[in-house]
Formats: sequence, C-alpha cells, structure tokens
Amino acid sequence: MNGELILFFVLALVAIGSGILMLNLTKVVHMVIALVFTFLSIAGLYVMLSAEFVAFVQVLIYSGAITIIMLFGIMLTRHDDKTETKIGVPRMILVLTGIVAFFVVMFFQINDLSFGEQAADLHVDNTEKIGIALYSKYVIPFELTSVLLLVALVGAIILAKRDDEDKGAEDNE
Amino acid sequence: MELYHLYQNNYLVVLMFLLLGILLPIVALTAGKILRPAKPTKEKQTTYESGIEPFHQSWVQYNVRYYIFALLFVIFDVETVFLYPWAVAYDKLGIFALIEMTIFIVMLLIGLLYAWKKKVLKWM
Amino acid sequence: MIEELLYSSPSLTNTLIFFGLGASLLMMVLGFVTYAILAERKVMGFMQLRIGPNRVGGPFGLLQTVADVLKLLLKEDTIPKAADRPLFMLAPVIAFAPAFMVLAVIPFSESLRFSDIGIGLLYYIAISGISTIGVLMGGWASNNKYALLGGMRSAAQMISYEVPLVMSVIGVILLTGSLNLIQIVEAQENIAFLFVQPLAFVIFMIASVAELNRTPFDLPEAESELVAGYHVEYSGFRWAFFMLTEYVYLFAMASITTILFLGGWNPVPYLEFIPGIIWFALKFSVVVFFLIWLRATLPRMRADQLMSFGWKVLLPLALLNIFISAVIKEIWF
Repeated sequence: MNGELILFFVLALVAIGSGILMLNLTKVVHMVIALVFTFLSIAGLYVMLSAEFVAFVQVLIYSGAITIIMLFGIMLTRHDDKTETKIGVPRMILVLTGIVAFFVVMFFQINDLSFGEQAADLHVDNTEKIGIALYSKYVIPFELTSVLLLVALVGAIILAKRDDEDKGAEDNE
Repeated sequence: MELYHLYQNNYLVVLMFLLLGILLPIVALTAGKILRPAKPTKEKQTTYESGIEPFHQSWVQYNVRYYIFALLFVIFDVETVFLYPWAVAYDKLGIFALIEMTIFIVMLLIGLLYAWKKKVLKWM
Repeated sequence: MIEELLYSSPSLTNTLIFFGLGASLLMMVLGFVTYAILAERKVMGFMQLRIGPNRVGGPFGLLQTVADVLKLLLKEDTIPKAADRPLFMLAPVIAFAPAFMVLAVIPFSESLRFSDIGIGLLYYIAISGISTIGVLMGGWASNNKYALLGGMRSAAQMISYEVPLVMSVIGVILLTGSLNLIQIVEAQENIAFLFVQPLAFVIFMIASVAELNRTPFDLPEAESELVAGYHVEYSGFRWAFFMLTEYVYLFAMASITTILFLGGWNPVPYLEFIPGIIWFALKFSVVVFFLIWLRATLPRMRADQLMSFGWKVLLPLALLNIFISAVIKEIWF
C-alpha cells in the first residue's frame, strides 16, 4: 500500500504543480502544455481509483483532442504574445485568505464525508459495466448527448464560416 | 483479490514503460552531450529558411479550417468513446442497443452532412 | 512466467522485474528499428533497381544503420536562437515516450506478454494520440515557417485519420466483446478477422499508413515543398528521436494490425507445430514489408485530396462498417 501512497502524492503534485505553472507561465502555448500534464496526472489518479476506462477516455479526449483544439485555436490568433498581469498586494491577500478558507472548509467536509458501501470489483470488466449502465439505465441522457454534440458542431461551423467570410481574401498559410 | 493484483501489476508495467520512455532520451542525450562537439556560431544558430536571411515572424496566424477539423475530431472522438462500451456490452444488450446507437450515429451523420454541405470539409 | 508474476501481489521486486522486462523489450525494439531502416533501404533499393547500402558491415550493409546512429551521436546539436528553448528540448521526449508506452499492451504470443490490460485497445489509441502534441510542439518551438507548417499539417492529418482508425476497429470489438488484446487474439482461433471484417481491415490499413505519416500520406515531410516538415531545425540525437518515434510506431502499428486482423500468434490450420511467436513474427514481417512496398510504389497525395478522402470516404465507410458488423453479429453469432 505504501507504493500506492507515494504514487498518489507524485500524481497529485504533478497535477497541482502543472496547474499552478499554467497560471504563471507567460506564453500561451506553454500554458497548454502545462495543462496536458495536469490532464495526464488526473488520468493517472483515475487509474488508481480502478476506473481505467474513464482514465483513458480522459487521455484520449482531454490530453489528445481538447489540447489539439486549443493549440489550433491559439494558432488562429496572434500567438507570439505574452501576457503580463499585475496584481496588487491587497488583492493578493484577499485571494490567499479565500483559498485558505476554501481549503479548510473542503478539508473538514471531505474528512466527514462517507460514501457508504464502496464498489469493490470495479477493475473487473470495467468497460462492459459502463456499457450496460449507459445503454439500459441512462438511455435518455445518452441520446440527449448526441443532440448536444450536433448543436456544438453546427454552431461552431456557423461561427467559423462567418469568421472566414469576414477575413475574405487575406489568407494566411 | 487476485484480479486486483493483476490490475495493479498491469499499471505498474505501464508505469515502468513510461519511465523507460523518458529515461532513454535523457540517457542518450546526456551521453551525446559528453561525446559531441559544441562550437556554436551566430550563423549556425539562425533559423533555416532555404539559405536566405529569415524575415518576419514564423508564428503567424493560421487559417480557420485547421480549427474546424480539430473540432470535428473532438466531436467524433467523443462519439467513439460512446461506441466502445456499446460494442463491448453489445452481447448483453441486444437489438434495442442497436436502435439506440442508430439514432445516435444518425444525429452525428447529420452534423457531418451539414459540414459537407457548408463546404467545411474542403481543404482549399 | 510473466503470467504468474502479473497475478502475484505487487512489490518492489515485481517493479524491478518489470523494469528489466521493459528494458529488454526496449533493446529489442531498438534492434528492430536498426534493421527495419536497413530493410527499408534495401527493399526500396531492389524495387528501384539499385543495390542499396552495401559497404559498412559486409555486402549487405549490415552495420550501416549502426554507423548512422553513431554518427548522429557525435553530431553537434544546434538549437536556433529564435527557437523556444524549453519546448524545443521537451518535444522529442513527448513524441517518443508514448511511442514506447503503447508497446506495454501488445501480446506477442501466449506466453510473451507484458501486461493484460482490460482496455488494451483503448489504451493504445489514447496513448498514441499524445505523440501528435509532441510533433506539433516540435514544429512550433522551432520558430521556423517550414517546421510550423509541417507540424500543423501533420497534426491535422493525424487527427483526421485517427477518427476512421478508431471507428474501423469497432467491428472487431463487437465480435469479440472485449477491448483486451489477448481476448481479441483468442477470438480469432478459428478464423482471422481479416476474413470477417475485410472492409474494416482496408480502412484500418489506409488510416494507419496516414497515422504513420508514410507515403502516400507523407505530406507533413514532403521534401520538395516543406524541406523536412516539423523537424527541419532538429539535428543530431534530438532529430534521431523523432525518427525513432516514427519507426517505433511502425513496429507498434504492424503489431496491432497483426493482432486485430491477422490473428496474432494463432497458427494457420495444419501448421500448428510451429510455435506462436514465429507465426506472430511472420505475419508482422508481412505487414512491415507491405508498408515498405507501398512507399516504393505510390506517389504522394495532394493536401486537399488527403483531407476530403479521410472525412468524406473513410469516415462514412467506417460508420457503415459498424452497422454491417452489428447485423452480421445479429444473424450469425
């Protein structure tokens, strides 16, 4: 069990560290790469929770697809920019107290939280269980997802098309 | 319990492979650093541009079509994520699941057809 | 032996043994890459009525690649002034590490396997997707017009063909009822999925060639227009790691094709006395040879043809294949 604990702390540290790095880096592309590491370590945490299907969906969708869409989105804009933000001291103190208060509340709440009976054999046929649950119990949400995806697709095409027409002839690449 | 051990061991193997995948470049590049010469000159470190002096920035704005393809990719990737558990559990679900999946795929096909009609799938 | 190890309680000893096993596979893969490059040059040489490498290491040039690697190791490593230094150095690692990681799930024979992951196929697809980011990063960090254009094209191509690739294997999953690669091979004991899923096989082959950035889909590296694509600015061993990534993926892709469609280590009827690992190696070599053959035969596609082929032909066909498979399953199984 000891090794498990070490692994948990390493993954948690990478997740949080990359998150902080993402907020503090100056170049946009660097931020996205830091975000990839956060996604990957969260996938590692899912694996530790016996949720292997969700873990690799996280890798496939977030660190694969979403990252590419963000990078391509950055390429659409002027991406040699650097962000510079200055935060005053009073605001910093306010934010810090907020974070500490949030941590204390969450820490005690999570400590008191009980999920009742825990599922013990999640790692056996993980995908099949998800499939059965999804397609017998949660059919309506699943079908609604397809509508949501369709709306997202159509909406994005309309927006991108308009953007394309505005730009007209000035075509980079 | 034995199956849980199998699960843990599996991911231990994955972890070791990850470690090796990172170690090999580090070891090889460090070894290379000792062996290779390092005589940087200003000319060597200029950006390559077919022999002429590089001009303008290369981090320019790209066309929106790249973004649309990335978006299509995300949407169909999400679809795949739904298809995989469906295919695995199909034996237990039967014909009703096939109908559910048909509705789902037809919805996305409408999206694909819309993109096709709007000439988004064209590269030029 | 590995089987027992996988079922035992995880411990430090296990970890060390797994590390050793992984390292031996790494050496094997490096050996494969060395000779795959030589084989590619030799086979292409014969197909183009040349001799190919024939000086270093005897008449067959057996040590040619070894000499090339040594030369690369001794080459000066230049990082352009304008490049983004940290990302430039990180990119080859991000491209290579997933390429090696995917090999963890591949079963080579009944006894030679490194893990028994329940979602093996999803693992392969998810992890191999990360390499795209490495390629795009390498192109961006170089701060070179050719490199960024090559990286963008490469990423666009890889994502466009990943969709039909992952959709084409759904037929296989449907017939097996599992994502576990070992179970997929065991399901092909009587008949290889190549004969049950011919359409899926064709889609998979085309999409995998595109994923590997090989001819006829080698646009990202089109020498005549983009110099070398995303790795223009890379030299020495950093460049070697991008090359290595490509060939490790060749190894992985040929293995996964063998497993999904050619029946893995299952023998051909009446020849059961030959051990499984040899069957695997044979089928694997046929796939690799086929990929080299394609490179020597086909011209390069145009960028617009490439994209519309992926989305307008392969994707609808892959979706159609899912329904055909479901109907086949309803009727026969």
